[in-house]
Amino acid sequence: MTAREQVARLARVLAAVRATRTGLWALAAGMLAFAVLRLLAAFGVVVPRPGMVAAVLVTAVAAGAVAYWRGGAAASPTRAALWVEEQVPGLDYALVTAADPRFAATAPFLAPRLRDIPWERLSRAAAVRALAPPLVVLLAASALLLVTPRGHTAAPAARAPGAGGSTATTPPAASPLARLRATVQPPAYTGLPATTLDDPASVAAVVASRVELRGAGEGSVAAELGGRAVAVTRDGRAWRLSLAMPHAPGALRLTSGGAERLVVLEPRADSAPVVTLARTVVDTVVRAPTGGIPLAGEATDDFGLASAAWEWIASSGEGENFTFRSGTLGGAALDGRRRAEPRATLSLDALELKPGDFVHVRLVARDRNTVSGPGVGVSETRTIRVARVGEYDSLAVEGAPPPEVDKSALSQRMLLLLTERLEERRPRLARATVVSESQAIARDQTALRKRVGELIYTRLGEGVDGEHSHFAGDGHEHGVEGKLDPADLLAQASKATGGGEPTMLDFEGDETPVVAVNQPLLEAYNHMWDASRELEVGAPGRAIAPMRRALVALQKAREAERIYLRGRPPAVVVDVARARLQGKDSAGVVSGRTPREDIDAAAAARARRLDRALLLLDAQPAAAVDSLLLLRVDALAEAPALAGALGDAIERLRGGRDATDALRRARRLADGEPHTAPGLPAWSGGGW
Amino acid sequence: MVTGERAAAEAARRGEFTFCTVQYESGDWDSAPLVAPNIIDTIARYTAIPVTPTGVIAPLGGDALHRYPLAYLTGHLPVRFTEAERRNLKRYVERGGLLFVDDHNHDVDGMFHKTATEELTRAVGPLADLPNDHELYRAFFTFADGPPTTAHEMNGWGDNLVHEHLQATLVDGRIGVLYSSKDYSSEWNYHPDSKRFLSVDNTRFAVNLVVYALTR
Repeated sequence: MTAREQVARLARVLAAVRATRTGLWALAAGMLAFAVLRLLAAFGVVVPRPGMVAAVLVTAVAAGAVAYWRGGAAASPTRAALWVEEQVPGLDYALVTAADPRFAATAPFLAPRLRDIPWERLSRAAAVRALAPPLVVLLAASALLLVTPRGHTAAPAARAPGAGGSTATTPPAASPLARLRATVQPPAYTGLPATTLDDPASVAAVVASRVELRGAGEGSVAAELGGRAVAVTRDGRAWRLSLAMPHAPGALRLTSGGAERLVVLEPRADSAPVVTLARTVVDTVVRAPTGGIPLAGEATDDFGLASAAWEWIASSGEGENFTFRSGTLGGAALDGRRRAEPRATLSLDALELKPGDFVHVRLVARDRNTVSGPGVGVSETRTIRVARVGEYDSLAVEGAPPPEVDKSALSQRMLLLLTERLEERRPRLARATVVSESQAIARDQTALRKRVGELIYTRLGEGVDGEHSHFAGDGHEHGVEGKLDPADLLAQASKATGGGEPTMLDFEGDETPVVAVNQPLLEAYNHMWDASRELEVGAPGRAIAPMRRALVALQKAREAERIYLRGRPPAVVVDVARARLQGKDSAGVVSGRTPREDIDAAAAARARRLDRALLLLDAQPAAAVDSLLLLRVDALAEAPALAGALGDAIERLRGGRDATDALRRARRLADGEPHTAPGLPAWSGGGW
Repeated sequence: MVTGERAAAEAARRGEFTFCTVQYESGDWDSAPLVAPNIIDTIARYTAIPVTPTGVIAPLGGDALHRYPLAYLTGHLPVRFTEAERRNLKRYVERGGLLFVDDHNHDVDGMFHKTATEELTRAVGPLADLPNDHELYRAFFTFADGPPTTAHEMNGWGDNLVHEHLQATLVDGRIGVLYSSKDYSSEWNYHPDSKRFLSVDNTRFAVNLVVYALTR
């Protein structure tokens, strides 16, 4: 082989080494980047999957480019010859001259000097020097990849395609459970089309939908749902099973040989119609049972309404003798419409109601559910009552315009505030102004005192006129004016009840029943008297103290009142000691009530199950997916949000994708709302 | 009866049993006002359970209801719960409360029965006959034949039936709602002082109700 041929061969070898070195550096850098990202994920720094792929690719390409750029000898024969001259300095450019075609004539003369060049050793050394570093890095990256945790990503290659939710007995690719197809046929009344799902982990459908699962492969297939076997039919290699979507969520367990697969059945309930009233919006009392009452409402349903009607119940009677009649009104077929606005008029004449009778009205709608229904939705009930005889006799109807002074806007507190402000301004005002404003307040105070007096006298059975004579400043001359005292009141009470001469009863001091009942109002009345007297003479400062005492007394009177809007039931206070015959009866001690477990016990149990499943995730990902599937079945009814998050996580795990976010969301939902202490900052900044 | 929140809370703090009458938006919930003192008197007579001398009235839709392990609901007129009442009743029963519902009409064709059972079914679940050997009938006194018959069942009004069973909705094995068509509301609606005229106290079954509600 001539020197030119040897140089050309070496150039090819060097080019191959350079290319291999570039590839090795790219691969090593990519693996190293992937290992570092996984290591970060283990410490909670999660990079999304697209980002992770991009980072690995960029690192690999960059490393390859740098390696190529620094690749050393190029592939041209001249540079290869120069590289050999570098390695064997004694050649004195003899090889470069011999390899140059322009000096081909000198080759025979130079051949003896080129005879001892160690071509093989040079090639090996070049290859070792170029490839050893990337190989070392590649091995290191592989080692790092092996020791870093895999995070929450189930390796898709570990299972047969589509084999979801398998345990340690993962169905192999040839198993009849390896690939499933589900067909869902909703009930006819829903009007929904049939759907087909490939390799589903769960099947969601309306209750009573026909669910058909199909697969193919050798070996027997058995199915079980809620402890009951589901029939599986065979047709050659193909198998199929069919069942109705149950009312409650469940896990369909498919087994074949040693392999097992779970499919969650997720029923979607057909909601009952939602019915609301538009008219009449409130309960009503009618004076006479005549005329008609317009009724309007709205009914909506998820799959369509069948009918709607107004139901009424008329109740008559009292005590032990009640009679009832009922019926419907305005019934209409709705032919599957999803929304309807039924209207009707309730004729009170037709019901032949009597005073004191009740009519209850509500709107009832039924849906077209012919499988588990029909679902019935009802509106709130409105009560229409016919007034009892004499019910309005005691009702004070204010036919006239409001009185000149709006007494309802007058309060002791307001008068007190006015007086306090006047007292503040008094040093800056002329005396005449002070007197004028003070007397204006005095008139209001007198009017308010008069109202308190009316209350006291009304309770005594006396007309307002009885009190009227006792007021100062009202422009009348009816005798002695002044404060009320208990003796006066007792006299008034005796007069009102026809009891003759007043006598003090068995009460302490002057505490007669009349006085006891009216005590706070009497106090208020007398303090008001003092206040108005001081205001009349233009001394608002001295009026403030009695005005405050009057306010306190009025508050006390208010608090003493108890108003029973529905009538006052008899207040029977049982004498427990007497009933127990002075406590000598000890028929036995009944233990206290056993505290019940917290209502969130079920949620806590779900959280514990989720924890256990997550612990399994690294060691036995398939078993963990099974556990998550079963947990999802239980969560579907009681914790739909958790079930949704679990479903997302399961789909991702089955697809070999990162499920960390979904699992984190599920964990938060399972743990419930965090407990917070109001008023404390989320982070104090002062350390742990 | 009192409705004072403070008094009720104080009684609860002392660990006393307080008889609760349920007030609902529709109907005549206060048709048997003397049942409460009568049962309180009965509890005091036969047991050592600390008991508040007056009952309380708690709105069915309010949180106050949850203070009382036993709640009593009655009436003659149609019963329509509001959505809040329905929701609160379900919570009450799930959290261990016992609602005792009695048809003051003692009439299975009456509107109280029809509407109340419908509402209870919607709120809590369907009612079923309670077996006459249920532990309720042995919780304090023994009623070997099941619920005691009332003098009102055959009084010419209502359905004129002697109802053999009470009905109940069980929640986790215990009674959540107990429904009676026997008209205990009429049977027990008298002043406790009148009890001395009875040869056999007809309110003894109420002790079983209270003891069951307190201990199960």
